[in-house]
Parts: sequence; structure tokens; C-alpha cells
Amino acid sequence: MTGVLDGLRVRPSGGDHRWSRWSLVIASILAIAGFAWPLVAAAVPKDAQAAVPVVALALVPAIAIAVAFGLDRQMHTATTVALLGVLAAVGAAVRIAGTGVGGVEAVFIVLILAGRAYGARFGFLLGMLTIALSSVLWGGIGPWTPFQVFACGWVAAGAGLLPRIRAASPRAARRWELLMLVAYGIIASYAFGLVMNFWFWPFAVGTGTGISYAAGAPLGQNLASFGLYSLVTSTLTWDTVRAITTTIGILLVGPAALAALRRAKVGRSRAAALRPRSSEPRGGGTRTRRSTARDAAEVPPTAPPPSAPA
Amino acid sequence: MRITRLAGLRSAVLLAAGFVGLRVLYRVLFGGTGGGGLLLLDLPRIRLAGPFAHITLFGPVTTWGVGNAALSALPFAALVLALGLLGPIVDIRALLTRGAVRGPVRTVSRALVIAWATFPALLDSVRRVRVARELRGTRGPASLIVPVLEQTVERAIALGASMEVRGFAATRVAEPACERPATLEDVSLGYEDRWSLEHVNLVFEPGTLTLVTGATGSGKSTLLHAMSGLFQHVADGVQRGGIEVAGVDRISVPPRETAGFVGVVSQSVRLSFVAATVAEELGFALAIRGVAPVIVRTRVAELAERLGIAHLLDREIGALSAGEACLVAIGAALVERPVLLIVDEPLADLDEAARIRVIDVLERLAHDAGVCVVIAEHAIRDWGALPDRRLDIRDGTVHIVGPGSEDRGLGDEDAPRPTELRVGPTSAEIHGLSVSHGARVAVDDASLSLAAGEIVALRGPNGAGKSSLLHAIARPVRRDTVLIGGLDVHGSARRSRRHAVALVPEAFDDLLFATTVGEECHRADRDAGLSGTADLFARLLGVHSAAGATALMHRHPRDLSAGERLCLVLAIQLSARPRVLLVDEPSRGLDAAARRLVGAVLREAAASGAAVVIATHDQDFAAQYATRTIAMAAGRLDAPVGASS
Repeated sequence: MTGVLDGLRVRPSGGDHRWSRWSLVIASILAIAGFAWPLVAAAVPKDAQAAVPVVALALVPAIAIAVAFGLDRQMHTATTVALLGVLAAVGAAVRIAGTGVGGVEAVFIVLILAGRAYGARFGFLLGMLTIALSSVLWGGIGPWTPFQVFACGWVAAGAGLLPRIRAASPRAARRWELLMLVAYGIIASYAFGLVMNFWFWPFAVGTGTGISYAAGAPLGQNLASFGLYSLVTSTLTWDTVRAITTTIGILLVGPAALAALRRAKVGRSRAAALRPRSSEPRGGGTRTRRSTARDAAEVPPTAPPPSAPA
Repeated sequence: MRITRLAGLRSAVLLAAGFVGLRVLYRVLFGGTGGGGLLLLDLPRIRLAGPFAHITLFGPVTTWGVGNAALSALPFAALVLALGLLGPIVDIRALLTRGAVRGPVRTVSRALVIAWATFPALLDSVRRVRVARELRGTRGPASLIVPVLEQTVERAIALGASMEVRGFAATRVAEPACERPATLEDVSLGYEDRWSLEHVNLVFEPGTLTLVTGATGSGKSTLLHAMSGLFQHVADGVQRGGIEVAGVDRISVPPRETAGFVGVVSQSVRLSFVAATVAEELGFALAIRGVAPVIVRTRVAELAERLGIAHLLDREIGALSAGEACLVAIGAALVERPVLLIVDEPLADLDEAARIRVIDVLERLAHDAGVCVVIAEHAIRDWGALPDRRLDIRDGTVHIVGPGSEDRGLGDEDAPRPTELRVGPTSAEIHGLSVSHGARVAVDDASLSLAAGEIVALRGPNGAGKSSLLHAIARPVRRDTVLIGGLDVHGSARRSRRHAVALVPEAFDDLLFATTVGEECHRADRDAGLSGTADLFARLLGVHSAAGATALMHRHPRDLSAGERLCLVLAIQLSARPRVLLVDEPSRGLDAAARRLVGAVLREAAASGAAVVIATHDQDFAAQYATRTIAMAAGRLDAPVGASS
């Protein structure tokens, strides 16, 4: 079987605007505030404290939608859309297949490898779409879905933000990269569990128990309560299983899968030298090569910002 | 669809109930179920120490405490249920389909539409690769995941290209000059490391049919996609000189902006389908341009009528035969009434009847409708005198060959004459083998015997059951149907089965999963419990020097040409020295040199004592290499079935 562009090389591309990075950073900070609402609630006046959880439940989905709107235009090229679509299908399939076998969340393997291969912004959208799609298909939609969407977006984007490895030989570079991804996978597995627990813990436990969230209590006491809740409910169980699955998965399929994914974008930096129109900055990630002079005029360097984050 | 949506509601109910249950459990665990009412359980309180000093475990459990805990969980549980109700009410798929055409979240919606449509293909891919794994006799997650991922990426690239050439994400539309479909002036094409074509001067006239021929990797696709724009704008190719397509400068205008007058039919049409039904697929270019649905429907109906595929309009895109799929892809490229139609190897997958039909459609488009049609093709024999001219690409240059000239056919003429193969004793007996897919009988009571050293060609049209028969010989589902060297293949152990029979399926890439050729060969040695796969592969490719072999072993399997990849898979499948070698469509899509290469491998396998069976609808290849031909039609073998003496 040969591909449509057998012998031709293709890669995904997206918008290349500096503001988009900042808007993603700002959206993420706002979302972090939503995740960390138990801490925020302690800082606001007593009268407003009751409203904080409700605001958090509304804020995170709003930001998720705003980010989707904002990234939408930048990623609007045929290859990117196609890659996003098929990889989201793979991710969702892996996630749905994984729910049947005791929370073996193999989806992190897909997200981390794809985020690494195609960059942070692609990874972020892929994480979001994978969770959204699998939730719709499997029926696991709940108030937690927007939070999962964000957390998985971060996991994939983080893999794209990891540094490029320089080593004596390509072989050594690939080995170090793999080790780095495994380490990242383990950290991400536990961090994912912690941030998901943090916003959910007060809802899950409610009031009146020893580990309940107490808005007025000292920070140390709340953190201790959260720590015990997290330890018992996920860190020792789901998160550890996820960390092990991710490690094994990345080690087993990582090299070949990365090679497969990267084959869709080989030749980007190599080709840049010869082309007169290559005004693009070098480096990984997903950026538009403005292929034409006319096109370049079409996309002004200061494009309008995306729909403002909530 | 309905089932999925109701399943969503059911899981919401379960999730809500689970949430309430957990709330109660936490309260019992962490001392929060005390209070009035009946005492259910009196658990001892345990006070924790250190940073957890404020926490007490257990304590009395009362009805009031439990009820209170459950009640306090209800608001959140209600939220879960409410979101679950959205599923059955909102038709998300319909929303996405609409959102993908217009609106502010077109990327996300289109990506999700594609994801949705990819699911069946993904399952299919997993199923195929699992069979391939079994055929290769290997295990481990990499051999499953890597081919599936490769196919996924390949699909994404094909889809992306097909959306690009149909105007996806276009922000403007270029104005065509219809009287000059394409002109190339002193054009050189290549990637930064080398030119694949140099100093090409060509003019393409309206109403002409041009055939582009040449070996695999000679630059046929490069030339075609330099005109479609995919080469420069998607694949990072480098162009020197000037290409104008309908008066538009190709290097400055991307394919999406010329979608209105340049039609492209890609090589693997099935991978390039973006929609779920034939009607949607045909109308895709119009729909994403924002043309009113009524007009799209009329235009699609009219087009389908003209191509004779009106009866297929409501068909699922996955349920098309190879010939139908090819016609649908041609239709999808014609919906904007292009000036220039570029078709990349349309005949590779088709049987005789479908070939005739596709050739007829393309010929009429050129000579009746006045479209400039440019076709890349290996097999020029099928075209006869229909093309107005032929462009033959050799050594990086384009040679213009006049109409009707018959200088170089498929190139088998200069192949060595078939050497006499010594046919040995009968090595395989197949009795009463039947295969049915659901209600359809694919193979009906097939019996034949195979002798060591012979090459049997199994011939017949698409759907005759050739592939099914080969698969059934390699993996029989009933006892005593396939006996090879006295071994009943059904129920035999993995390794002994590998020594008895090996199958190279049509999608032979499914069997490759390593990152280097050397690793593939090493795995093959290990799985077969023998050695020498690497040496065999190097010898098959005619690489004799140690340095050459080392370089070969370090290459990525998917960087090899199609012919070389097929040889690699043949070497892997021959690693266990099977008594019977089955190859499905060995010559498909291969150029003359690759066909000779593969033919020589088959002959070598036969000479070393294997019985070789090939399924093919390639008459030339069969005549060249087979020692015996068996015809198959509608699931039945209808030729003398005994081994030739």
C-alpha cells in the first residue's frame, strides 16, 4: 500500500502568531485558578465563598470553549485537521478500550507521543478532542469533563514543551528522549491525578468528615486532608497503574511510534534552507509555512486575538 | 447511533449513583455519619497522628448520618444526570457535520467528523494487523500498534491532501484562464538534497488525454503533484522554473485556492474519502465552499447520473467496491467542473471490467467534455491508442512519446525467459475448503493439490474469492481441510505452522513494525527459530557487498520502495522455509523493474522446493512466472485441479 503522496513529505502546520502562545498561557492560568478553587475560596470574603465552587464549575468549561474557538482558526489547514481527526480517533479508541480493563489509562501514551512529535499547540487540541470525543461516545460526560479536557490538554502540550535533546549520536539522542518521555509520563500520571482530585475533592467528600474541605481552616490542615483523600482514592491506585502503563507503553512502542508520527513531517528544517520563501523560524512545533507571498499578505503578523477567554 | 446515545444516559445514571455511594462511603470512613436516628454500626474511632491529627477514622454509623450524606450528594448527582440527558436530546454528530462546514469552530468540528468516520477504519485496521501478526507468527504490542499507527498517519496525510485539493480552508479563489490548462517552462523539481526532474518543458492542451509513465520513484507523482500544487505547498518540494495552471502561478497559489478548476484523484482513493456517504463525498468541495445545499444536491445528482453511479448515492463510503470507489473519487474531483484533472494510478486496484469502465470515463472526459486529463500509470497496455500522447520519465527527464506508439510496454519483454522449474512431489493437499463471510459464500468447496517447485497462478475477477482462499489455506478454520507435508495446518502449533505455510497478504505493509530493516530481519529469525533472513533479503535485492548490506539494514522499512518492501516481507515470510508460499497480488502497483525483482524471488522460492501460489489479475505476470494457472470465479475453482505432471 502506498500513500497518496508516496515519496512526498508532509507535515502538519498551524498559525504562527506569538499572541496565540500568550493567550494559551493566560487561558491555562485562568483554568488553573478554576482547578485550585478550594485555595481561592479561602482568600475571598466569607459572603462570596459559597459562590466559588459554582463559578469554578462554570469557568473551566467556558475557558475550554474559548480556547477551542481561539485555536480553531490557527489550526485550520487540511493536514492538521486530518491528523487531529485521526489521532483523536486513536486516542478515544484507546481510552474507551482502556475503561474496560480497570482504568488502564493508556491514552496518555498517545497524548504524550503525539504532543512530542507535533508540538504543544497540536497536543493541547488533541488532548481536548480526545477526551471530548471519548466522553461523547462512551457516555462519561459530567461536570468533570471540562476539567479532564484541560488536564489532558496540558499533559500532551507539556510533552511538546520538553526540551530538544542534543547528544553525540542520533541513536543516543533517541534513547535520552525516550527516557525523558518516560520520566515525564510518570510525573504527568501523578500530577494529573492530583490536579483532578484537587478541584473534585470538596465535591466528592462533602462536609462533615475528617477530610472535608473547610473554607476557614488553616492551609496546612486543608492540604493534609486533601493529601489523605488523594492518597487513598487515586495516588496509590489509579495514578500508579497509569504511571506503570504509561512507562511500559512508551518504552515498548515509543521509538517506533515517534518515528511513524514524525514521518508525517520530515523535511521541515532540512527543506527550509533552499526555499526562498522560507521566512519561518526553525524548530519543532506546528507552525505555518507561509507558502506564498500573496498568502503572507493575507495573514497579517498581528492577527486579531481569539475570542477573549471568558 | 441511537444505541450510543441511550448508552450515554445509562452511564450517567450509573455515574450519579456511584457518586452518591462514594459520598456515603467517604463519610463512613472518615467519621461523618454520626447523629440521630437508628444506630446501624458502631465502629471504633481511630485518631490519626502527625499532619493528619485533625482526622478521625470511622465512628458510629446512624440512619440519619447516612441519609444526610446521601442527600448532600444529590445536587452534584443531579448535575451529572442533567448532562447525561443532553446526550439523547442533542444529536452531536449532526451538529458537528453542520459546524464543520460553516461557523467559528470548523477545525474542531471537522476534526471530530473525521475522527468519527475513522473509527470503523481503525477497527478494520486493527483486525487486519492482527491477522498479519498471526501470519508472521509474531507477538508483542509493537507488532500491533506500529502498523496501525503507520496506517493512521498515512490516512491523515492522504485525507489532508484530499481536503486541500478540494478547497478546504481556502480564504480566496484564484481566477482561471481555461484555454491553457497547464504550462511548464524549464521546470526542475526535487527536494533540497537532489533534483528528481530537471528542465521540463511541457504544454497541456484542453481536451487531451496525457499518460505519464515511468518506473516507481522516477518522478511521475512529483510531476503530477507539481501541477496539483501538493508537491510545493504540502510536501515541501522545491520548484525551479515556472509552472502555470490555468494561467495561475503554481508556486504562489496553494492547491486549496485552485480547487475550483484543478481536480485531483489520488492514488489510494479509499484513504482520501472525507465523508460518510457517497453523496456527501461527491458534494464535499461545494459544501465547504458554502454552496447552498439544494444546488449541491442537484449538481451531485447530475454528476452521478453522468458517471453511472446514481444508484450508489446513499451508499456508505466503506461499502464500495474498488471500481466504484475509483469512480466516486473521480466524481468528487469533477464536481467543480475542473479545467485540469490529475489522476494518479487509477487502475492499480481494479479488475478487468472496472478498468475498462474507468478508462472509458476518463477518455470521454478528455475527448467529449474537453477536460485536460493527465494520468500517471504503470500499465500502458490497457490504454491502447486512446491517449493523445505519453510522457515517459527516465533518469530525471521527461521524454515525449507520440500517440499510439508502442515502444516500451510493461518491460517484461526483456525479462529472462522462464526457466524450467523442476516440479517435485505433492507437498500440500487441500480438501473441501469453504469460506463464508456472513451469508455470502466466498470460497465454495475448493480442493487442490500443490507440488513442490511449482508456481500456481490463481486468476479471476475481483470478488472471485482468491484472497479468501489464500487466507483459508494459511489459517484454516476446520480440521482436515489443509494438509501440508502430512501436517494438519488447523490446530498446529505456531512454529510448525510457519514451517508449513506462509502467506504474504495484499496489504503486505501490515507485517512490518520495526524501525530498521535489520531489526525486522532479526525478529523474523527469532520468531522462526532459524537465521539468515537478513542475508536472504540482501541477496534478493542483489546487494552483495558487506558495506551495502550494512547500509540496507539501517534503513527504515517504510523508506524502501514498494517493490523492496514486498521483497522484505517475502524474505521475512520465507525465513521459516515454508513448504507452501502464498502471495496475494504480488505485482500490484509495481513497475517493470520491481515486477522482475519480485518474480525472481518467487522463482527462487519455488526452486528451493516451496510450492508457490499467487493470486493475481495480472495476466502478463501470471504468464511470465506461473507454471500452472487455475481460474476462479464466484468462489469456485473451475480448472483441472490435480498437480501438473
